[in-house]
Amino acid sequence: MATSTYLSNPLVTVNAVDMTDQCSSANLSRVIEALESTSFGKTARVYTAGLENSTLTLTMYNSFAASETYATLAALVGTSTTVKIKPTSAATSATNPESTLTGCYLETLPIVNAALGALDTIDITFTGGVYSVAVA
Amino acid sequence: MIYIIASTKLGIIGDTFVPADGINVAALLFGGFIVEQSTPKPKKPAKTNTDTNEE
Repeated sequence: MATSTYLSNPLVTVNAVDMTDQCSSANLSRVIEALESTSFGKTARVYTAGLENSTLTLTMYNSFAASETYATLAALVGTSTTVKIKPTSAATSATNPESTLTGCYLETLPIVNAALGALDTIDITFTGGVYSVAVA
Repeated sequence: MIYIIASTKLGIIGDTFVPADGINVAALLFGGFIVEQSTPKPKKPAKTNTDTNEE
């Protein structure tokens, strides 16, 4: 059976700012809430689609330098923005689709997550917004 | 009002930035990624004296 090595190197932009060089982990999940519609007579639970509530979680190195993590995120907490992610920095295509969450909300921004002898990293989560994907 | 890119993380410095749908412009201004530039007012045309008397 063939195997492949996948070296993850996605392109991440937050509010149009390229944050790839400060990001070490990204997890985009498209979520459509499940509304239970099970009724009498059913022998198994049944669900129907509710509102979309996708999330993008990023692990970022914290930096207070100009044009870096803090400068990008500080004014975004408590507001909505647009985030984009695609598997590689190559041109957008069917094999390198660009996913976008437009109007997603940043609820929490950790300011400092310091430990002796370790780099300061923060996890941030963008919630909601309209999901779309571009292939060209 | 137009916006000028001030960080390579956003694009080429000096280029005009046109915010796409959903972009938080206030956050970009706060972070110093863009700067505001007032739209130049169109120059008034030069005054010329024209003789409208037809004799």
